[in-house]
Amino acid sequence: MLRFGRNEWLPGTTLLAWRNLAHDRARFIVTLVGIAFSVVLMGVQMGLLVGFAQTASSLVDHARADLWITAVGTTNVDIAANLGARRRLQALAVPGVADAEEYMVQFAFWKKPAGGNESVILVGFDQATGRGAPWQLVEGSVADLALQGGVIVDRLYAGKLGVTKLGETLEINNRRARVVGFTDGIRTFTQSPYVFTTKANARFFTGFGSDRTTYVLVAAREGADLATLRDALQRRLGDVEVWRTADFSRQTQRYWLVTTGAGSALLLAASLGLVVGIVIVGQTLYASTVDRLPEYATLRAMGAPNRYLYAVILKQAAISAVLGYAAGFAATLAMVAIQSRSNIALVMPWWLALLLALLTAAMCALGAVFSIRRVTRIDPTSVFA
Amino acid sequence: MSIVSLHDVTLTYGSGATAFTALRGITLGVAAGEMTLLLGPSGSGKTTLLQVMGCLLKPTSGTLRLAPIGPHDSPYEVSEHRHVDQESLARVRLARHGFVFQHYNLFPTLRAWENVAIALDLKGRRAGMRERALALLARLGLAEKADAFPAQLSGGQKQRVAIARALAGEPKIILADEPTAALDGRTGTGVAAVLQELAHESDAAVVVVSHDPRMLPYADRVLKLEDGVLTGDRRVTDAERARASELAHHSPP
Repeated sequence: MLRFGRNEWLPGTTLLAWRNLAHDRARFIVTLVGIAFSVVLMGVQMGLLVGFAQTASSLVDHARADLWITAVGTTNVDIAANLGARRRLQALAVPGVADAEEYMVQFAFWKKPAGGNESVILVGFDQATGRGAPWQLVEGSVADLALQGGVIVDRLYAGKLGVTKLGETLEINNRRARVVGFTDGIRTFTQSPYVFTTKANARFFTGFGSDRTTYVLVAAREGADLATLRDALQRRLGDVEVWRTADFSRQTQRYWLVTTGAGSALLLAASLGLVVGIVIVGQTLYASTVDRLPEYATLRAMGAPNRYLYAVILKQAAISAVLGYAAGFAATLAMVAIQSRSNIALVMPWWLALLLALLTAAMCALGAVFSIRRVTRIDPTSVFA
Repeated sequence: MSIVSLHDVTLTYGSGATAFTALRGITLGVAAGEMTLLLGPSGSGKTTLLQVMGCLLKPTSGTLRLAPIGPHDSPYEVSEHRHVDQESLARVRLARHGFVFQHYNLFPTLRAWENVAIALDLKGRRAGMRERALALLARLGLAEKADAFPAQLSGGQKQRVAIARALAGEPKIILADEPTAALDGRTGTGVAAVLQELAHESDAAVVVVSHDPRMLPYADRVLKLEDGVLTGDRRVTDAERARASELAHHSPP
């Protein structure tokens, strides 16, 4: 049991806070379960939000391009409009551009080997530079995409697409295709899996002529200022839109999370978790404080300043926050691990873990406010029966 | 020299038609090294007077004066002319007062020695806190109960822990409200003897509010209060003190 140490290192407020919690064991457990529940709710919802955002812009983020040239009015990377292939040559003529290549993103129909159709997003990239190529390849080879009809898909969607191993054949837009590789962990926000192939194969599947593409990916010369280069490209190319990668990534995330309502739904659920936590901590801490009012009155009569009483309450809240967060975070990490094998992206980057910890601390501090307000009004003469 | 002195102190609860005056024109001084017993019927204002002396209530009129606690300290005054907030009064209590309550008011989740140590913690005297708490408990005959929780102690033991807690901060004024009311005969006289001993052995003033006639022989001075007015102030006679010794002999704490 926690006690004053031999060296008196433990303040009395900490001792009282811990003993108060440990003494009301049932109430303490309810508090911890409530906080853990809130942490899981907030963690899962925010983890989904971040995961969805990362998923939505993953093509943009992993393309290794500095700038993107898109048709005017393009709102996200998945729903692409046609762009003249000559734009690539125009871009190459702009000082500061090291390289530019066509990149095609187009919805297509995938006919499973055993029958049945799925909608997919065909991604055609320039095999020579590898810009826009699939990442996290776990089986097969990007080089094999050079075979006519060669495609790479993700393991997470293998079942959905009805393929299990390399070499399986199927049809995309009624043209024969062959699986030459598998990635692991490339998710899609639209539920239409990404199917990577070469630019030439993409044209083969979609019927795009050599004069058409959907994007031009630009690599800047080393040291070039991207904002300046973007402006120069915009001036030179005219009726297109030129984006820095980070801007196009944000635009894509914003489009999917805002227009679909997914972002606000997840944020709302996370906010509910925060509110539930504040109510649970506030209610249990307040009940504990009311039960112990004679003790707070005794401390006050003995001459304890208000800050001493507040410290006892805040430390109760802090201990609850630490233990509740630990339990809730462990449960959230378990859910992240379980979800890693599904096509729903649930992530927990370090900064989200930190944000969650800060929200938990804020939740417990807010929950303590009700109790602090109560002891502020305590009458020390009430100890005289 | 008086440790606590009151000059023409009146205290009224409420205002208007519901106003009730609990103390009327009280003037008195309480000296260090003696035990003062405050007697009077229920509702006579004993506890209110104790609370005024303890800086828990501010007089409606008149002046409460507390003697300096160190060579560089000045007297502390509370009167209707001086605004003092609750935090200031708490600081004064922490520096000068020790309280013993009728129902002990120990912290149920703390061990006996921790209950004593919390008074030291409050004053920021954390070095050697445990040893000092144990020494106080030993002085009150509770060395073996230092690790016990209040629920494991008898009423008399609890009250002695409460006395040890009141003493821990080395107060100049120890105020006890009905300290024997919840105790049986022998235990009650034991606690009374402890309070008397403290008054005589320390330089603190001990003021005890009680209905309990068993307290009388242990006091040095008796004040009598009726309807908020001080109606009696006398020294306890040697004959009464001799009786106290006799009782203490037959009823060890």
